[in-house]
Amino acid sequence: MRREAPRDSLVALAERIVNLGKRYGADEAEATVSDGCEFSVDVRHGEVENLVEAGSRFLSFRVIKDQRTAQAASSDLQDETLRRLVENAVRRAAFGNRDECAGLPPLSLEPVDIASLRLFDPQVAEIQTDQKIGLARETERIALEDRRITNSHGASLITDEVTTVLASSNGFVGSYDQTFCSLSLGLQAGETDEKVEDSWVSVDRFFQNLEPPETVARKAVERTVRQLHPRKIRTQEVAVIFEPGMTDWLVGFLFACVSGVAVYQKTTFLAERLGERIGNEKITVIDDGLTPGKLGSRPFDSEGVACRRTVVLDQGILRSFLCNTYAGRKLNLPTTGNAEGSGVAPNNFFLLAGSATPQEIIASTEKGLILTRTIGHGLNPVSGDFSRGAFGLWVEGGEVAFPVAEVTISGNLEQVLRNIEIVGNDLDFRAPVCGPTVKVAALTVAGE
Amino acid sequence: MALSRGGDISEIYSEYRITSFIIMEEDIIKETGESVSSGLGIRVISGEKTGYSYTNDFSADRLRRAALAAAAIVQAGKSARLSRFKPAAGPENLYPLVRPAHQASLQDKIELVRRAYSSCQKADPKIKKVKVLLQDNVQHISVVNSEGWSGYDARPQVKLICTAVAEKSGRREYGFSGGGGRVGLEYFEKTLSPERIGHEAAAEALLLLEAVEAPAGEMPVVLAPGHAGVLVHEAVGHLLEADFNRKKTSIFWDKLGQRVGSSLLTIYDDPTIPSFRGSYCIDDEGTPPRKTLLIDRGVVCSFLQDRLSSRLMGLPLTGHGRRQDYTCIPIPRMSNTYVDRGQDDPQDIIKSVVKGIYAEKFEGGQVEDSGKFTFSISAGYLIEEGRLTAPIRQATLIGTNIDILQKIERVGADLSFSLQTGTCSKDGQEVPVTDGCPTIKISRMTVGGRS
Repeated sequence: MRREAPRDSLVALAERIVNLGKRYGADEAEATVSDGCEFSVDVRHGEVENLVEAGSRFLSFRVIKDQRTAQAASSDLQDETLRRLVENAVRRAAFGNRDECAGLPPLSLEPVDIASLRLFDPQVAEIQTDQKIGLARETERIALEDRRITNSHGASLITDEVTTVLASSNGFVGSYDQTFCSLSLGLQAGETDEKVEDSWVSVDRFFQNLEPPETVARKAVERTVRQLHPRKIRTQEVAVIFEPGMTDWLVGFLFACVSGVAVYQKTTFLAERLGERIGNEKITVIDDGLTPGKLGSRPFDSEGVACRRTVVLDQGILRSFLCNTYAGRKLNLPTTGNAEGSGVAPNNFFLLAGSATPQEIIASTEKGLILTRTIGHGLNPVSGDFSRGAFGLWVEGGEVAFPVAEVTISGNLEQVLRNIEIVGNDLDFRAPVCGPTVKVAALTVAGE
Repeated sequence: MALSRGGDISEIYSEYRITSFIIMEEDIIKETGESVSSGLGIRVISGEKTGYSYTNDFSADRLRRAALAAAAIVQAGKSARLSRFKPAAGPENLYPLVRPAHQASLQDKIELVRRAYSSCQKADPKIKKVKVLLQDNVQHISVVNSEGWSGYDARPQVKLICTAVAEKSGRREYGFSGGGGRVGLEYFEKTLSPERIGHEAAAEALLLLEAVEAPAGEMPVVLAPGHAGVLVHEAVGHLLEADFNRKKTSIFWDKLGQRVGSSLLTIYDDPTIPSFRGSYCIDDEGTPPRKTLLIDRGVVCSFLQDRLSSRLMGLPLTGHGRRQDYTCIPIPRMSNTYVDRGQDDPQDIIKSVVKGIYAEKFEGGQVEDSGKFTFSISAGYLIEEGRLTAPIRQATLIGTNIDILQKIERVGADLSFSLQTGTCSKDGQEVPVTDGCPTIKISRMTVGGRS
């Protein structure tokens, strides 16, 4: 479904809401409009299962009056509804309490060159539906040729185009276009009562950069069949190697613990640790909104603050918390261009790569578990503790010996950051929050 | 127009939802908000294929384009004939409201928030941080399809939740409690007071300050009544959703009529429990819902059906086609899922364990189609020589469902339900649910603690 060059009308809508807010008595107002169109196709056993093509538009805004904030959002964009929402919001603000940290940021004076960020692939709109279906179908077909694969969750191809517009009473007006494409496949191997499953997904802003069907199929097959005929292991403390996808959740957990909102709310164990060592010297973690073409890049955050590069952990020392304007004022720290809605979100938030190849890391391990998948939640930012269901590969004498299922791993984030022995060289930015392969000296693995 | 290229069924779902929230933290009412979600989804089904489109722009041109986008799924074929619409007869009103939250004044709602906040804060000087959220919405949905079904539902929803952080000699712990459902504000006077919600959140955080590390390894696990329903939700409920069985990815797909668990185990999913968070008068495909027996004394009895799977499998509709909102295709989902009460005295069940854990509060779980599932406990106790002793910290439990279902050794007579605050996520769609169970003993399960 093609969009009809909506940029000007989106900007006009956002500005109208800001003006309306001021007219109803707000001291400050800020409005965001997003306009997206979504395409997705799921193919299973060679047949198209679902085909979704749609577009929609969404508005959110906040008003501040006497240092009291009220928010609202709507997908109903009729004049009458919007006027009522703005009026309600200004009236509602009066019921809140005065909060000296409330308010919009000053106008950001460091505009980012949006074109250089390469967030938008103009080709996406030109790709024919049949070509997209063909790619998904081909991906699944290749995988199903492997006789070890016994069932398929299907292959999906998704393309999204989104325009984001922000207008603010501090004078800021900005907008940018983004595209996201993904090709994914989920598989099962093994007979009914001994099934194993896994998947692979390639994600990129640019359609032509997606991994080809052969690669997605091969990776999905490899990841699935390597788990066949797993064993349980006994409960022990042992070295654990995190594959990149697993380091991703560790890094994501760290984000939750360095979020300025969690810090001022005291819901993170790192709240009073700024400037202290929380990891060893191999650990450097960065938030960067400005790396061209990456999934987490954007020119400005949801408050119009220019995105930037922030070193969060510098060789193990906690250097920065990631703040929106509110958390920054609360903590007397700079805002870092991480605002998202009323909270904070990572841009590209990653553990800097080391120099060892994943093969070298495995070869260095006399006895240990390669963590390949986890299920469940079990992350507690208040204490830094985690405990998750785990799947993996057992390593003996520097080589993979057999698959392991139905165990749990548990530990504490700080303990892990201090005990990472090797950082791999395979950082690939497949997700906005990511890291390379790492080896942790010892974690509790619970089994039999 | 949606059937212009052929197809078996076309359907139009429209939704208008108004949500509002109030947040209190740091002793002040910090934020309030209101949001409107309005839109329409058009679906065309042809055999196993589904075409879907949605829009929040109700102009004739956009509706026409959405209908044609949904119709694009059909290559060629005969159109189904349009039938005359007849309204679905759902259960009587499941949401008897005295004081609907969406009509209440902001002052009244703020008062509830303040009461919960102050009760939590005053519970103990060790409580360092409190946050309270009151959220309510009313969702109007209507569905019509080319087979002649039509239906309308107006679903209220309220939740009041409180989180607390307690601190003692540098150690911090977190507590949570809450309540609500498809109820009016009278619920917080008659059923569960804001004071109790605040107090329970504080109590959990304070308890965890004294907690020891959970043990690691295989041991007997006793599930406390109520919250532990998350175990059946993950271990059984999801894998009895019809889509996974139609596609043969669930390990239950060939087990209808077969014994899969202990004869002590009977499980229902019931969308018709009045006032419950997971209930509805019609599902999101316009089908009147039914209380559905899933497992009868260990034997698989039925799957949770939506229209697509029911047609393709030739099995009766159960009224479990749900969707997060108008942007989503409906899929089979749980509503209020629970293990039926058994015979045993809960105290006797605890007494029967020499060394194990008592799992009391949960923060969710996950399952995959192969039957491997986890759930995480946020609070519990060690059981030593038949008695609850030290409180334990967070730990994840893991198992394979058929294995664990067979290891259910005792089922108590004390059925209760989880907090009315739960949300279940599947295929990226979130819907409100509850689950429940009596005290249950599992003879062995892997516990992921650290000691």
